[in-house]
Amino acid sequence: MIARAEILAAIRAADVPPMPAPAPVVSPADSTGLHEQFLRTLESVGGTGGICQSMQVVEEVVYTLLGPGRHAVVVLPGRFAVAENGAVYVDADDLANRADVVLATELVLVVPTSAIVATMHEAMRLIPAGSRCGWFLSGPSKTADIEQALVIGAQGAKTLLVVFRD
Amino acid sequence: MNTGHSAAAAEFLSDANRAAWHDQALWFVRQRRDRATDLPEWEALRDRAAALKAHAMGNLAGLLEAFEVRATAGGTTVHWARDAKEHNRIVFDILRQHSATRVAKSKSMLTEECGLNPYLAARGIEVVDTDLGERIVQLAGEAPSHIVLPAIHWKKEEIAALFHTHFGTPADESSPDALAAAAREHLRDTLLHADAAITGANAIVAETGGVVVCTNEGNADLGMHSAPIHIVSVGIEKIVATLDDLGVLLRVLARSATGQPITSYTTHVTAPRAGAEMHVVLVDNGRTARLADPEFRDALHCIRCAACLNTCPVFRRTGGHSYQYTLAGPIGAILAPAVDLAAHRSLPFASTLCGSCKDVCPVRIDIPAQLLAWRARVAAAGALPNGYAAIFSRLGRILADRARFEMAGRWARRVLRFVPATLLAGRWNPWTHAGRKLPVAPAESFREWARREGRVE
Repeated sequence: MIARAEILAAIRAADVPPMPAPAPVVSPADSTGLHEQFLRTLESVGGTGGICQSMQVVEEVVYTLLGPGRHAVVVLPGRFAVAENGAVYVDADDLANRADVVLATELVLVVPTSAIVATMHEAMRLIPAGSRCGWFLSGPSKTADIEQALVIGAQGAKTLLVVFRD
Repeated sequence: MNTGHSAAAAEFLSDANRAAWHDQALWFVRQRRDRATDLPEWEALRDRAAALKAHAMGNLAGLLEAFEVRATAGGTTVHWARDAKEHNRIVFDILRQHSATRVAKSKSMLTEECGLNPYLAARGIEVVDTDLGERIVQLAGEAPSHIVLPAIHWKKEEIAALFHTHFGTPADESSPDALAAAAREHLRDTLLHADAAITGANAIVAETGGVVVCTNEGNADLGMHSAPIHIVSVGIEKIVATLDDLGVLLRVLARSATGQPITSYTTHVTAPRAGAEMHVVLVDNGRTARLADPEFRDALHCIRCAACLNTCPVFRRTGGHSYQYTLAGPIGAILAPAVDLAAHRSLPFASTLCGSCKDVCPVRIDIPAQLLAWRARVAAAGALPNGYAAIFSRLGRILADRARFEMAGRWARRVLRFVPATLLAGRWNPWTHAGRKLPVAPAESFREWARREGRVE
C-alpha cells in the first residue's frame, strides 16, 4: 500500500496540466460495400471468408471454402465483423473455454450478416458492457520473426474462415 | 560496461553484408507501414492518438484509481511497484505462493527493463519466452534487438543451427516454415503446461478495468487462458481512459508497427476465467520522474510500435544492440538518458536529427526536439563523450563569429584541395576511417561567389 500511495503522490506532484478528453474521430459514414471490404482485407491477412446464400447451411460453405477432409474444424460464434481490418469480435461469454480461440487448428467464425461495421470506432461501442474477455481476431496466427518471412500458423489457428449467415 | 553507441556500432558494421541486409529488412517494414497508413483520416487519427495520451497523462492518478476499482471488481488483484526490484519481488511472491516453477512469458519490454528473467532464474523458476523472436534471442542468451522484431538481426541459417542444438531439428533445415513449425511444437507444449503465464499489456483501460494484449502468434492467449495464474506487467503510462480511446490506438498501432490493419489477436480481458487468478502489476520505475519533467514528458506517450526504429537511418545501419539499452532506436535514445545519463550519454548523439522518426510517430512525439534537449542536458551535466567538449567549444567560437567562420572556410577549402587525400584520410581521421569520403571542395564559398558577382553589399 505504501507503493500505491507513493506512486499516486508522485503523479499528483508532477502537476501535469489536465487536458480535455479529445473529440471523437468522425469516420466516413459510407456503409456500402462493407462485406466486400471485409472479405478483401481478411484475405490480405491470410484468412478466407464467404457469405451464406439463403437456404445454404454453414457446413456447406465451410466445405466449399476449405475443401474436403477437414475434421479438426472448430466453429465459434462471432458477434460482429470490422470491415477495415478483417477482424471478428468474439466474446468469451459465447465460448465453453477461452483457450478455444487459440487451440483450434482450423477455426471457423460464424457472424450474423447484418453485424458489420466500417471501423474500430464503431466496433468499440459494440463490445458488450461488462464483457469479461473478448477478442478481435483478424486472420490466422502468424509470425514474421524469421527473416521477415511470413509464416501462417505460429501458435494458434493455421486457417481462419469467416462465414456470414442471416 | 557501456562502450558508447559508435564503438558498439563499429562492431555491428564490421560485417558489411549483414549490416546492409539489416538496413534493407527494416526499410521493407517501413514501406509496409507507409502502405497501411494510406488512409484519408490518418493524420486526424495521429492527432487524436496524441491528444488521448496527453489526456491520460494529465489525469493519470485518477485513471489508475478508476482502473484499479474496476479490475478489482472483476476479480483481478492489482499490485503497485515503485521500481524494477519491487516489481520482480511481487511477481516472485505470486509465483512462490502457488509453487509455480515453469512460467510462459509473452512479449513484454517492461520485464526486459526490470530484468525479470534473470531474477526468477536465480530463484529456481524457469521462464520460457514464447514469442518466436524472443525465444530465438533467449536461446542465444541475448536481449531483443528490436521492440517488435526481437530477432531481426538473426539469419535463418543461424536460427537453424540454434534450433538444431536445442530442439534437435536438422542442422541444414533453414526454411522459415520448418523452423516456425518446430518452434510451434516446442512452445505449445510449454504454453499448455506452464504453472503461470506472464504477459505485458499494450494498453489498460480505465473505463473497463481491462488489459489489452496484441499478438500475431497467439502465444499470449495460449498462455493466459491455459495457466492457472495470469500475471500482467504494465507501465503506468499505458493507461487510456476509454474503449473509444483504445479503438484509436488499435487503429494506429499495428499499421505503424508492421503495416497490418490490426494484429491477428487483440485480447481485451477484464476478469480471470473461473478457477483462475489474474494479477496486474502497475509499474513506475522512473515514469513518474519523467512525468514531472515537462521537457521530456511526452516520451511517455510511446505505444512501442517501433516505427521510429524502422525508419531511422542510424538504427537501420547500426542494429539494436549498439544502443546498449532495453529500448533501441530513436525512442530508446530519448528514454535511456533519463534512466542513467552517464551510461547512455552517447545515445542522443546517435542521430542525424533528420526528423523521420517524428514524421512516422503515431502519437506525434517530437523525438528530434527531445534528442536535442538531451544533448544540452548531457553537456550541462559535464558528461559529453570524450573529445566532444573540446570540439564543440572550438566550433562554437568559429560559428559565432563571421570573420572566423570565413577564415576557417578558406583554410578548409585550401586543405581539402591541395593536401593529398591519402594524408587527409589517415587513421587519425574518424570521418574517413569509418568508410566515408571527404567532399570535393569548391574553389570559393557561396558568399565569396555572391560578392564577386556583385550580388551582395
